[in-house]
This record gives sequence, C-alpha cells and structure tokens, in this order.
Amino acid sequence: MSAPLTTTGRYFDGRSARAHGVRLQLGERLEIVGEDRRLDWSLLDLRAAETAPPLTRIGHSSAPGSVEFEDTAFADALAACCPDLARTERGGGLTRLVLWSIAAGVSVVLTALYGVPVASRLIAPLVPAAIEARLGEAVDRQVVGLLGTPPLCLEPEGRAVLDRLTARLSATMSLPVAPQVSVRRHALANALALPGGRVIILSDILTKSKSPDEFAGILAHEFGHVAARDPVRSIIRAGGTSFLLSLVLGDLTGSTVLVTIGQAAISAGYSRDAERAADAAAVSAVGRAGGDGRALAGILERITDGAHERPSATAFLRSHPYTAERARTIRATAGETPANVPGTSGLLTEAEWQTLRGICPPKETKAKETKAKDPKAKEPTAKEPTAKEPTAKEPNPKDPKADDPKPKDRQDGTTGDGAASPPTRPP
Amino acid sequence: MHADDDRRGTRGFVAFDEGAKGLTGLVVKGLLLTAVTFTIYRFWYMTDLRRFFWSRTLIAGSPAEYLGRGKELFLGFLVALAILVPVYLVLFILGFAVPLFAPAVPILSGVFLFLLGQYAVFRGRRYRASRTRWRGIRLGQDGSAAAYLLRATLWWLLTILTLGLAFPFMRASLERYRIDHTLIGESRLRSTATGRSVLLPWLAFYGVGLLPILATGLAFLNNVDFSPPVDLFVPHPKGKGNAFIFNPRYAGTAVATSFGWFMATLGFALPLILLLIPFYRARETRAFLSATHLGEARLTSHLKARSFYWPYFVYLVTVACFSLVIGILVAIVFGVIGPTANPGQQSAALFGGGLLYVATVFGMAVIYTRVVMLGLWEAVANATRIENVAALEAIVASSRTPASGLNEGLADALDVGGALEIGF
Repeated sequence: MSAPLTTTGRYFDGRSARAHGVRLQLGERLEIVGEDRRLDWSLLDLRAAETAPPLTRIGHSSAPGSVEFEDTAFADALAACCPDLARTERGGGLTRLVLWSIAAGVSVVLTALYGVPVASRLIAPLVPAAIEARLGEAVDRQVVGLLGTPPLCLEPEGRAVLDRLTARLSATMSLPVAPQVSVRRHALANALALPGGRVIILSDILTKSKSPDEFAGILAHEFGHVAARDPVRSIIRAGGTSFLLSLVLGDLTGSTVLVTIGQAAISAGYSRDAERAADAAAVSAVGRAGGDGRALAGILERITDGAHERPSATAFLRSHPYTAERARTIRATAGETPANVPGTSGLLTEAEWQTLRGICPPKETKAKETKAKDPKAKEPTAKEPTAKEPTAKEPNPKDPKADDPKPKDRQDGTTGDGAASPPTRPP
Repeated sequence: MHADDDRRGTRGFVAFDEGAKGLTGLVVKGLLLTAVTFTIYRFWYMTDLRRFFWSRTLIAGSPAEYLGRGKELFLGFLVALAILVPVYLVLFILGFAVPLFAPAVPILSGVFLFLLGQYAVFRGRRYRASRTRWRGIRLGQDGSAAAYLLRATLWWLLTILTLGLAFPFMRASLERYRIDHTLIGESRLRSTATGRSVLLPWLAFYGVGLLPILATGLAFLNNVDFSPPVDLFVPHPKGKGNAFIFNPRYAGTAVATSFGWFMATLGFALPLILLLIPFYRARETRAFLSATHLGEARLTSHLKARSFYWPYFVYLVTVACFSLVIGILVAIVFGVIGPTANPGQQSAALFGGGLLYVATVFGMAVIYTRVVMLGLWEAVANATRIENVAALEAIVASSRTPASGLNEGLADALDVGGALEIGF
C-alpha cells in the first residue's frame, strides 16, 4: 500500500456535543488523533451513516463515537477497504420484506374472495329478524336517497292488485319474512331486494313489462333474493371485504376508491350465482302460482341495453350474468315445468294488469302521492340498478363517507338487474 | 463565505442540501414498492424519506441523523389496529343494536378520533425525537400525552367558543408544551412562544375574509329585517328536482342587490382566506422557531412568507404543465379508438389509460415531494440561525431509553402527521 491517507475531521465522543478537531489516518486501521485522544479503529468495525456528499460520517459498530470529514478522496479510499461500511441492520431484508408483504396481501385478498362469502352465508341466517328489519330500513333510506328520492306510487287500486300478486307469489315460496313491496316512480327499469324482505320496484319496469307474467317474474326474482337472504349476505360480505381491505391499507378513518373497486370486483362472482339461483326460484314460483315462468326471459332481454352487453374489460365488474345466458337458462328451466297457456295467464286478469300498471298516478298529482300512507313503505326508495346489491350502502364500520363512490360506479351501467336501461322518462 | 467556520460548527447555521440528489429515485422506488406490497412498504418508505431529509439538514455543520426503522413503525401500526378495531366494532354494533345511539355514533367516533389524534400527535413526536441524533447525542421527549390531550381539548373548546380568536394562543400554548418537553441529550429546550406574536397574522384572516363576509351578510340581513324570506330561491321551472334559481320576485330590489354583494364577497373572500394560509404558517413558524431556546443558545428565524408561497406556486405551475402533457396523452390513447372499437381495442385503451393513471399518480407524488415538501423544509432550514452556538457544546448525552415505535403506530392508523413534519 502507498503512503497512508490522511485528512482532518471532527470527532464526537457520543457523550457531549462538543466537536473535537482530529486528524484521520487510514492505514491497516483507521487512526483518529486529536489533542487529547488517540483512537484506533479496526476497518471491519467502521459504519458509514447516510450523509450528503461531500460530508461523510463514520461511526464504530460498538463504540459511541463518530467522526465527520469532508474529504471525498478519503471517503472513497475508506469505502474501498472497509467491507462492512454500508452495512445497516436492515441487512438485505428488502426482498424478504416485499415477498412477505405480498404474501400477506394475497392472503387477505383470498380471505376476502373465498372466506368472507362463506362466512356471510353462515352468518346471514343467524341475523335476528328485528336487526334485519332495522338494517333494511336504513338501507332503504340510503338507496332512496341515492336514486334521488323518487316518489312512492300508491294508487290504492293498483296497490291492492300488487298486494294480491305479492301474496300469491310469496305463498309458493318459503320466504323468511313477508315481503314489503314498494313502487317508486323512476326512469330505470329495475327492481331490488333489500334486507328485511323489502323489495323496491322502479316504475319503468312496469311500463316495460308486456304481460303480468313478465312483471311477476321480476317480482319473484326479487323474492328469490329474499328467500336466499341475499341482501343481508351481500351486506355482510361487502362490509367484511371493505373492512379487511382497509385493514391492510391502514385506512381506518376513510375508505378509498381502491376498496370500492376491489369490492365491486369481488362481489361480481358471488352475485352471479345468486342471480342464477334467484332466476330459477322465480321461474318455478311463477309457474306454481299459475303464470308462465319463461316470461322473465323476455323482460330481461327487453330491459337490457344491447350496447352494454358486449364483453369488455369492465365485464368483471358486472354483478349480473349476461342477459342472453340468463334468458337461455330460464327458458330451459321453464321448459321442464308444466307451463300454463302463454299470454294472459292465471295470475292477473287484463283489467287487473292495467290497474297495476296505473299504480303510479300521472305526474301532476305527484306531490300528493309522496305523502306515503302506506305504513309498510315508510321511507322507501328506489335504487339503482340491480336487485342484488345493497352493498352500495352497507353500513360501513369505518366511515360513512365510504359509501359515496360506490353508487356512482354502479350508475355507469356496470351492473343491472338484467341491466339498467338508459334513463328514459316514463310516459 | 464562512464555509470554514461553518464546517467547524462554530457558526450557527442551519442549512439544507439543496440538490437533494437521489430524492426522486427514493420516491419512485418507495411508491412502487408501496403499490406492490399492498401499501405495507409505506412504513419503510416513510423511514427512508425521513432519513433522507434528516441527513441533509446541517445544524451548525453537523447533519442530523434519523435512526428509526420501518419495522418499528409497522409493529406500532399493528398494535394500533389491535386497539382501534375493537373500539370501532363496539361503536358500530352500538349504533346498530341500540337505535337510540345511532345518531350519536358519527359524533362519538368523530370526537374519539379527534382525541386519539391529539394523543397520537404527541406520541408520534416522541418517537421521532428519540430516533433523532445530532453530533452523537440522541434527542428525547418527556411529558405526558394525556396532559397534552387535555390541553389540546380545552384549547379547542375555547377556540370554538371564541369563534377562532383563541386559535393563535392555542397554537402557542401547545408549542410551548411540546418544546418544553423536548430534550437534546440532557438539555431541555425551552419555548417562549406567545399567542400575541402570531395574533396579527391570524387576524388577517378576519380582516380580508370574515369581516367583509360578515358585513355584507349583515347588510343583506338588514335589508330583509333579519328574517331571510323562505322563497328567496324557487325551484328552477324547467330544471330537475334540485335545481334552484333566485326568485324573480326579488329582482331589482335592495334585497337582491345586497344578496348579490354578499355572494360576490363570498366568492372572493374564500379564495383569499385559502391564499392567506401559507402566510400565517410562515409567520407562525418564524415566531415559534425564534422563541426556541436551549440554555444560552437560541434559534432565530428570518423566514419570509414568500418562501412559503414559492413552493406552492412552482407546484401549481408544474402540475398544470404535467396535467397538460397527461391530458394530451389521454386524448391520444382514447382518440385512436372510436366508439365503435372492438373489445380488444377497448381493453388496450383501458390498459393505456391505467398506465397513464399510474404515471400521473407517480408524477404528482414526485412533484409534490420535490417541490412542496422539499421547498418548505428548505425554506425553514435555510432561514434559521443559531445564536450563541458555543452554548450547544454543553449538551451531554442522556441515558434515557429510546421511545418505542408503538408510539407512532396510532398516528399512522389515524393518518395524522404524514411522513414529515416541518419543524419536527
């Protein structure tokens, strides 16, 4: 080795903040010589702290002192002969850390994907009826708000027909609670089931139905969700999923868009099964009640905007199986059941059907009708597309704000009970 | 200049290494890893950022040193979760099972979060202090987070009761508590911050913003005999359910004129209030820094308000340019495909859009860190001097055990504080 390198620096003994001027000499060892001290550090013990060049600070792995100097040539020489200079206690754990984090994240996602649905299926039947009713009330209020508080439709004659139809359909199904059906004037052809047996019908679906059987199919489909306790399950699932995801994100005070999207994607697989089951339940219920179960296929196809149905990159966000596929399944199922004479079925007479379609009075009387007389539908609402998802308003333990983004997503026609038709004014 | 003196630490300069080489790489790496690790990496990223900023801040010639570990923050976060989750669940179940409580739950959780937030601020600071070393001496913080919490709560109540007039006094009081319980080694810092020193900048908010609003509001109320007519707004005749227009019945009356003035004042006073925030913060930082003593030594700050505006201005301009570039790229990506594009093209566009989104997020984060965070930090550091720096040599190390990382977990779970706090 050539002549030992030297430079000047400041030594701090780790006990006081006083700076001691020292001379550094790099040879076989690092010598630090000051007026009143002479230190001799092994090159193996030297540790560099992070500093901005030209300043360098060298510490000792076991002694408290440290030395600072500004000589970059000296620093380079030091780096060349001290193997452990840059060693920190984190010591190459970065890859391990990243891999473990990914593993943890994947485990949470898998739990959300597979564990939470199972848990929600197990828990849903355990929810007491009183709690479910209260939940339904809250969800109803929220859904109505999201839809822009559409007015209730309460024409007494139409209401009576609807009640009769409801009773007839529910008699053929084993529903956990008596369904409470409310109709709201809205330009979306849709219907939805909420916890506590609440079903909201948006008036445009009545307008678009060509026969009582079609409408009965929609109604029975929602009852199918009620029978399967899908709304409660879906709330438990969405709540659990968003809770899990925000645990990982550490965002306990407010959910994020990420959570929302994740949830929508995750719920898609689940709700397709639920939709198929509800379809099957609807077909057989309408058949047993004396109607034509196959009619459901027709109305589904009609209220579906073809443009929304092409497979696209957003397809995974859809919560409802493609209409064509559903319609095919429905027709196949209905074929096996002894169907009545198509057309005017045994469900409703033509007169009753027209009365039912008139349940939403002409617009002028709207203000009057909003004053709900129906005790059952206290604060009903209409909601957006889709029968299935009360997820939009699941009570989020973390943050009330969390709910906001969701509805918007849905509105873009990413879902739909069959599919949201483009908003059109009802005649 | 005084470089030699500076190096020997005999002159009391506080300086920040302006180049900040390597910061962009740090931010990009940190964000990337944060993204792929389901955000768990953020604790390590925060630690890296702090180590970077600390090590480039030279105080009397010696850089500060950050000794924290990402692992400590992560463990602290886990513990905070274990405390917070049951509390949230109880609140949630309470609101659900006892309908009587339901309306109170958001208020309860808001109050609870606020209290916990104040607690977390103090404990987080204690963690950061104990992980900071300068000239081989560790900093520390004693005092009680509960006492701080009590102080903060009472002061906030008073501030609300006095319509904000007590705010500067609250800030000064809390600053005194924090600084008076901060130690460098065995030496205790002392703060003589007073609310009076920042009262004038604070009153500026009232002068430019609140008074004109109040005056025009009163004028309007005077015109309507202090009972605003309920039919001031009527539903838009052709609009949707919630569109309203000014009732034409009042057009041309003094009511309409004064209401117009009121709205106009609101229109310009609110942005002015926003614009004043950096001014107040700069004044407060200057006053509070200059009130910080350590034995015979004391800090002085000649921080100019404009050096707080400049980073924000640069940030806005940069973001505007950046958005323009991104906007053009978005137009290109979505322009090449028409509405009749097939699913493949749609997917490609979606993918391109996703990439652009990621690029935007990263770009914005880098710009924010480099321009705003760095700019403010640098402004504060470079405007600070140490008077009577020789007195600092009297500082001796303490044998306190360093605070645990658990202290800061709460702050992360509550999202208070952020990665870096100016003036620590």
